[in-house]
Amino acid sequence: MKLDIIFSGVGGQGVVVISDIFCEAALIDGFDAAKAEIHGMAQRGGAIGAHVRIGDKVEAPLIESGKADIVVGFEVLETARALPMLKPKGTVVVNTKYLPPNAALACSGKPLSQEQLLSLIRARAGVVHEIDGFAIAKKLGNMLVVNTVLLGALSALPENPVQEASLKKAMASRLKEKHVEVNLNAFQRGKESVKFR
Amino acid sequence: MGSKIADGKPNSFVLLNGDEAIARGAVEASVKVAASYPGTPATEILEALAEVAKTFGIYAEWSVNEIVAMEVAAGASMAGVRAIVSMKHVGLNVAADAAMTLAYTGVEGGLVIAVCDDPALHSSQNEQDTRYFALHSNLPLLDAGSPQEALDMSREAFLVSEKLQLPVIVRLTTRVAHGKARVRIREVARSSRKPEFDKNISRWVMVPSNAIKQHRALREKLEIAAELANKSEFNIIEDNGKEIGIIGSGIGYYYARSLLDTSQFSWLKLGFVYPFPSELVKKFASKVKKIIVVEELRPYLESNIQCLHVDILGKNKLGLSEIGEFTPDTLRDAFAELGLCERTALEETLDLPPRPPTLCPGCPHRAFYYALNTVNQFVSCKPEKCIGCDICEYVCSLEKEKSFNPVKSRIRAVRLDALSNMAVTCRVCKDAPCVTACPKNALRQSVESGIVTVDDEKCDGCGWCIEACEYGAITLHRDTRKALVCDTCGGEPLCIQWCPEGALNFGGKTTDKIVTGDIGCYTLGCLPPVNTVQTCLCMGGGISQAAGMVHAGVKDKVFAVIGDSTFFHAGMPGLLNIAYNKANVCVIILDNHVVAMTGHQPTPGSGKNALGEDAKIVNLAEIARSLGIEKVELVDPYDVEGTKKAIRDIMEYNGPSVIIAQRPCPLRLERGPAREVLKECNACGVCVEAFGCPAISLTAERAEIDPTLCYGCGVCETICPFKAIRSTA
Repeated sequence: MKLDIIFSGVGGQGVVVISDIFCEAALIDGFDAAKAEIHGMAQRGGAIGAHVRIGDKVEAPLIESGKADIVVGFEVLETARALPMLKPKGTVVVNTKYLPPNAALACSGKPLSQEQLLSLIRARAGVVHEIDGFAIAKKLGNMLVVNTVLLGALSALPENPVQEASLKKAMASRLKEKHVEVNLNAFQRGKESVKFR
Repeated sequence: MGSKIADGKPNSFVLLNGDEAIARGAVEASVKVAASYPGTPATEILEALAEVAKTFGIYAEWSVNEIVAMEVAAGASMAGVRAIVSMKHVGLNVAADAAMTLAYTGVEGGLVIAVCDDPALHSSQNEQDTRYFALHSNLPLLDAGSPQEALDMSREAFLVSEKLQLPVIVRLTTRVAHGKARVRIREVARSSRKPEFDKNISRWVMVPSNAIKQHRALREKLEIAAELANKSEFNIIEDNGKEIGIIGSGIGYYYARSLLDTSQFSWLKLGFVYPFPSELVKKFASKVKKIIVVEELRPYLESNIQCLHVDILGKNKLGLSEIGEFTPDTLRDAFAELGLCERTALEETLDLPPRPPTLCPGCPHRAFYYALNTVNQFVSCKPEKCIGCDICEYVCSLEKEKSFNPVKSRIRAVRLDALSNMAVTCRVCKDAPCVTACPKNALRQSVESGIVTVDDEKCDGCGWCIEACEYGAITLHRDTRKALVCDTCGGEPLCIQWCPEGALNFGGKTTDKIVTGDIGCYTLGCLPPVNTVQTCLCMGGGISQAAGMVHAGVKDKVFAVIGDSTFFHAGMPGLLNIAYNKANVCVIILDNHVVAMTGHQPTPGSGKNALGEDAKIVNLAEIARSLGIEKVELVDPYDVEGTKKAIRDIMEYNGPSVIIAQRPCPLRLERGPAREVLKECNACGVCVEAFGCPAISLTAERAEIDPTLCYGCGVCETICPFKAIRSTA
């Protein structure tokens, strides 16, 4: 067994925490796991990604281009940016929120609309699960649980070998007590939002 | 939430990054003293140790810089206990003075120097390879390629250190330090050592007569070290009886293993790399026909193996660079070229807008830079929006001349071509040519604001100023025949507020300042649209670079920007130097009470230490004054006008000066109420194009604030010329 996942988003969205929790849960289930994070110098607002590899034996943390089984995208532009990592016909879970980079800060590249980015994603991926994480989080009354919604969605994919109980256990050990319940709800909503046609 | 490195049972698996693994290894080796200065990617070593300090009876500190940390650890070791000092690669340059001679004195208790290199410069100013520092200093070095190795090497390094009585370097790279992996932890040894200092003067006092003896002793120790390297458990041959042998160190070795069918090659993993395990490599070389060397950065293994007269395929032949880090992709290309594996067919890359690093929303540094950039503001116009309606002219004449007559305006709408227009007014030029041109000395330019004023008594309407102005921004009053120049309405130009198209803004900024930078979040002020910071060399370097420019004779006012923690680290000698050698430099200390960039570690100004205990609060202004600076100003960078006032004041001051801009990093605080944009917004763009807050985006019609990104600092509200931003509270 081996599963390679790219988590991709914007600094401050909780990419690192969720990829950590997934690895912790994989360990609980007895898998080997390794991960690497890609972030620049900024604490907030820059692009951020995590490579997560789990399996019977994992030698090194970085995933090769075109070999990731799943891309979990926290934002559409950063999801599109991770597409070259995805294997042909790979699966994408994407939070449909678009955070356009500040035009005054970005020096080059043409601006794309949310719909253009989503069509890029649909064209390249085998399966796409589009999730409005912000809407779900808003309903739950906490905008900061979007990442957990996506973890719930990831847990529902057929590729995922990690037990739901292990993921919840890893979550509980990482979160403050008062945040556990809302995150468990978010996890459940995320799980339910994955539909198979 | 428990501790990552204290909770697991011996022999169990835990998920650790390389830094945490180093810390766990030190705990297992019963380390007693740990010291460090924060630096990505090494910061988490001391953080992890500080977190478990009380549990395991460890003393852990954030020292003010790396050489201090090295000396603290050295002192502990001299007193006989085990100590660890950790830092990023460039930190070892700061600590080098101590490290080089520690190789002579040697150590008593095991002393481990954990150093993280940063290939690809994820967050650094260079890509130096610490393996060469080992060669340079003669300190043994273990090179970790995974968190498991980091843990095992950290623990074993204490034993090697005590066996050789030498400090031992354990080297990581960013991918190991910040990569997490499943790691098997071991038993924590308990130590009952009593600290005791053996006053052996000939060993500890490095006067020449003693040092020469210790240098000889060092050479002898290195021979033993070479034997240890040849037998080290970190130098492992996997002999699969194949023709091709692969030698590697660091994470590159593991990339190679995950790309290739391991059974088809013989392998030599090198971990104990200085002194170089020559005998072991010779033995391996004799078993294979061809050798491939895989190592990031400089060809350290390669040149050592070549010294053994062994023929190899190294960096050049494999087409692998000394620059940047390896990825599985770069190695696959190299191996595919040799026919060792298949190439991956890759889809074409997408041309997407980048999302570069930026100062965070709410960052007080951005507010300060905005004040510094706009201290000499003028009204500027976007030709693509200007329709040439002349309303600005009417407003100006009414305000200034009390007559509704555009010919008496100080701003002029100009038709550029059939389709584009532009409004022009004074651009507060540096050393304004109009002022020089005036034969009657009637024009004066304010040093602080750059605004040109006309003395009507002296002006005789000769018009030489009009000729001198490249922008055509000066006119003559029809009736009085006196020159008319924009005075920005005292900082709130009415023309901007009345422009129906939002074509005018107050974002005009002058570039007549030299601003040297330093190392920290505020270095990001070099990026657009802030574009303030013009240098970044090394910790504390900006102040003295600025002094050098002043002594070289540059005419511009020179500012040196430095963060509070960097100031404590290496800025104080530079400040003392400008006071002593009288350099007309204004040092700006951006004081956010924390080491922000590395993840919010405490500073000597924060009132806390590494263990979370209360600590002495060191006062920056008192330091500046006691170092001989007579002009010290304190400002709140969120108060943009107040900050500008202080900057203008300093611009007129001749001599070394300090501005301390105090505002805690907002990421550590509760967010304030988000701001929202009102219908008054006309997309003038100041908040985005001049201020550059990443929480604000701009469409053709209006600005928009993302409530999930906004930290509620409210600075945009104060700088909006149209009062079109307000708090949602």
